[in-house]
Amino acid sequence: MKAPIISVKNVSKTFYNVKAVRNLSFDVKEASCFGFLGPNGAGKTTMMKMIYGKALRDDFYRSSINVMGFDPAVDSLSIKELSGVVPQEDNLDEEINVYQNLFIYSRFYAIPHDEAKKRIENLLDFMELSDKKKSMIKELSGGMKRRLIIARALLNNPRLLILDEPTTGLDPQVRHTIWDKLRRLKKEGVTMLLTTHYMEEAFEICDQIIIMDKGEKVLEGNPRKLLDKHIEKYILQIINKKKAFCLEKSLNPKKVRKEETGEMVIYASDDLKYLENLANCLNSSDFYIRQSNLEDLFLKMTGRSLNEDQ
Amino acid sequence: MKTNKRYPNFLQRITSVWYRHFRVYTKNLITNGLPPFLEPLIFLAGIGLGLGNFVGINTMDGLSFLEFLASGLMVSTAMMTSAFECSYGTFIRLEFDRVYDGMLAAPLSVENIFMGEILWAGSKGFFFSLAVLIIIRIFGVINTPGSFIVPLIGFLTGLMFSSLSLFITSIVKNIDQYNFYFSGFLSPMFFFSGIVFPVSSLPLPLRVISELLPLTHSVRLSRALTFGRYEWINILDVFFILAFTTVFAFVGIRRLRKKIID
Repeated sequence: MKAPIISVKNVSKTFYNVKAVRNLSFDVKEASCFGFLGPNGAGKTTMMKMIYGKALRDDFYRSSINVMGFDPAVDSLSIKELSGVVPQEDNLDEEINVYQNLFIYSRFYAIPHDEAKKRIENLLDFMELSDKKKSMIKELSGGMKRRLIIARALLNNPRLLILDEPTTGLDPQVRHTIWDKLRRLKKEGVTMLLTTHYMEEAFEICDQIIIMDKGEKVLEGNPRKLLDKHIEKYILQIINKKKAFCLEKSLNPKKVRKEETGEMVIYASDDLKYLENLANCLNSSDFYIRQSNLEDLFLKMTGRSLNEDQ
Repeated sequence: MKTNKRYPNFLQRITSVWYRHFRVYTKNLITNGLPPFLEPLIFLAGIGLGLGNFVGINTMDGLSFLEFLASGLMVSTAMMTSAFECSYGTFIRLEFDRVYDGMLAAPLSVENIFMGEILWAGSKGFFFSLAVLIIIRIFGVINTPGSFIVPLIGFLTGLMFSSLSLFITSIVKNIDQYNFYFSGFLSPMFFFSGIVFPVSSLPLPLRVISELLPLTHSVRLSRALTFGRYEWINILDVFFILAFTTVFAFVGIRRLRKKIID
């Protein structure tokens, strides 16, 4: 088997007295997409930052991070030379226009001028930003800024792309465009590390995910397999809890798992027929039955209520 | 672990940061490029000609007031521009625009970024010094050959005050705290570093303080070069500037590193 492109062992990170990451270990295969899921404050971003040296791990000698053969705490420049980073917050240079943003960034990699110009044209084209070449950053929409940051991260033809919530806050069209681009990059052999809140995003592009909560790994695996293994296939969702009274008496707790939040209640089961029978006593407008998704798994694993860090 | 380094070399990294600042600065050539010429013009007209009439001829260490003042302004302007660049400028890039976060995703270290920035502030010091020189030559205030070398002192002054300002930036908690730095340190220094009157006319305790101020050494070097009046103490002035720059750059960048790397 080929050696993993990233190998993380027993990594922790403490801020003052908060443990942001606790004893995390994982391997990432080349040309795959590896996703981190978890609520805000779960330690996803901190883990990403430790991969390219923006954050330093605790206990240097008892843990290890190996990224393409380099340790980010020792030689982050070698890692960054081979990687592209899309941070959570937009950090484009507001004082210069779209083209200059990319051109000045190409100087950081010392890409020869002619080559840089060619790559910039290609990337603007790839990210569908060619007609915004001369625009100032302020004039761009949120989706354009994100696409430009991804273009910037691709300037050095990276082997590894680190994406911290690449589509948070964007409309569905832009999200789908970005997912499409990321899938294309993956096909070309780029390894991707991604954090997200969107279960759909993880499902669409990730081969392997980790669900994190309070700095710890809760689950790891292929998203589809995790669904099969850790959550019931179907969900009966009732928007108004009070309406659920009629089915409570006939409930068989062995066949169904019940979860309540606020005004809503859900019943999860592998048996679709059983859920349909349960729902017989309800008006058709009061419930719906659907397949379970990664979000249900996520909520099951990390809890439905907010914790103090969120 | 591999050791083959494929990323750009040290000089390429520093100059790429310098280039970023250069491009941003030259983007608005008129708004950024004109004030350095206007400022000395106004200053020399207002203070030099106006106030100069009340000052006797050749009383300032044997120089006319205008000559005396002009040779000092060539470096004080370098101080101001580099101090602004690495205080308010750096703070905004650090806290508001997050420019450094963007740069740190490229193969640059925190040290590279701020060394490039100090180099840029030095270049700005050179340019501002040169602007004053051009004005005073156009108006015939000073015509000595030595004055041509003074922008180099402007460069050193820029390095010195950008290093100090980075150190201040590593300490301030919000942008308003720079008021202390500017009103409490830089502005008074302008008066006690021998720009508007000779330090030798001050009482002894103030002269001692004046010798500890960084600008005093730049001013003395500027005057020595401009009028060809070299003294042994000028060697100490150079050492002071180099040592001051090194210490504050080292400590300042180290502290900024802790702020930026989690």
